[in-house]
Amino acid sequence: MWLWFSKLGSPKWFYELSGRWLPWLVIPMALLLVVGIVWALLFVPPDYQQGETIRIMYIHVPFASISLAFFPLMAVAGTITLVWKMKLADMVAKVAAPLGAWFTALALMSGSIWGSDIWGTWWIWDGRLTSMLLQFFLLIGVISLRSALEDSDAAAKACAVLSIVGCINVFVIKYSVEWWNTLHQPASSFSLSDEAPNPPEVWVPLVIMIIAIYLFFAVSLILSTRNEILERERRAQWVQDLVEAQ
Amino acid sequence: MVGRAATTGQAFRATLKRDLIIAYKRKNDVVNPFMFFLIVATMFPIGISPDPDRLGEIAAGVLWISALLASLLAMDNLFRADYEDGSLEQLLLSPHPLYFLVLAKNISHWLVSGLPVVLVSPLIAYMLNLPDAAYSIIFITLLIGTPVFSLLGSIGVSLTVSLGSRGLILAVITLPMSVPVLIAGTLTVQETLNGASLGGYLAIMGAMLVGALTLAPLASAAALRISVN
Repeated sequence: MWLWFSKLGSPKWFYELSGRWLPWLVIPMALLLVVGIVWALLFVPPDYQQGETIRIMYIHVPFASISLAFFPLMAVAGTITLVWKMKLADMVAKVAAPLGAWFTALALMSGSIWGSDIWGTWWIWDGRLTSMLLQFFLLIGVISLRSALEDSDAAAKACAVLSIVGCINVFVIKYSVEWWNTLHQPASSFSLSDEAPNPPEVWVPLVIMIIAIYLFFAVSLILSTRNEILERERRAQWVQDLVEAQ
Repeated sequence: MVGRAATTGQAFRATLKRDLIIAYKRKNDVVNPFMFFLIVATMFPIGISPDPDRLGEIAAGVLWISALLASLLAMDNLFRADYEDGSLEQLLLSPHPLYFLVLAKNISHWLVSGLPVVLVSPLIAYMLNLPDAAYSIIFITLLIGTPVFSLLGSIGVSLTVSLGSRGLILAVITLPMSVPVLIAGTLTVQETLNGASLGGYLAIMGAMLVGALTLAPLASAAALRISVN
């Protein structure tokens, strides 16, 4: 167990292993994405209330749900960085922050487009929207702290502390913002669960899209971690061999 | 006392006393956040409307946001001077738990920069036409809420203390984290005015203060050890 753990910390080992994993993630991802998008955009029956606009859900929900995973991910990676000083954990944490900002921004934008049609406005200060926006700001804070600190070792540890604090804070913000919202305006149920039980032809493509976007998340995280490994280990012999082989 | 090591309690009191004396000798650091609070609060009637009814509606929010910004502005001198003259390193080398020393610095910093803002808040509340019943509530909630701002801010300051220009990055890190306190504070004022009982809201704010007191100095201490090496 511990041998495996310390092996995983070695960037070279991860680079080789992830190279072998990638096809097994990319192929299902591509298949599911194609099936899910075609199904969602062309074959799902229009919603009886929302009409064709319901199709945005198949993009929005997967992105929104996966973007909640970033702070816990960064906090775990940060803890590993602080406790075991594992280089790889910090590489993952470093690439996760901009990726998380993109995913959060995509969730906000797709939700905004959806809302412009259904709610008649591009933005309301709804609890979920607001907590997503604040999560986006917190991620920007992590990114800017990382870029401001020049010493990469100090930046790694400082970002680890900020990610752990931010992870706790994201949950406090989430609950407090929902509390704020529900007290301010009558509870408006936009969530899927409040509707009548959905027929399978609605939720099966959604599940496919969620799995596809999760795989997309894993693939993008692995690809950017591999880039980061190559950049940080550029002086290492194995990286130079790799470059010369190509 | 020769040859006897100081206890953690003594170290705590010594740090507190030292910071208070320094603040007393550098009165600008005390006056600036206070003046900033007054000036920001003055900008709102000018920018929004001098109409007393409209001001009354936004007064609680204006007070809270001004207090938050004043606290953010004041945070910069929590560790900066100590970092520059090297006494922060001495603090880190001390055998006492850094938690208590950071807490002492936080307390003295709040006493000189946060407390004056709280004390003057009823006056500003009057000028902004906040309903009379809310004067005491805004005072109590700010009394509980501003230390939380300071404690959260000190995490951000500890992370950025070694940076040359850090005003904006400190704001980007700290302001989103302060949102729960802002929400709790303004909601307490509004809902008590609407007839809700104060107890439950104060309990939530108290919980935030206790949580911040317990966890924030730990995070600040860890961050300081990273920033200063």
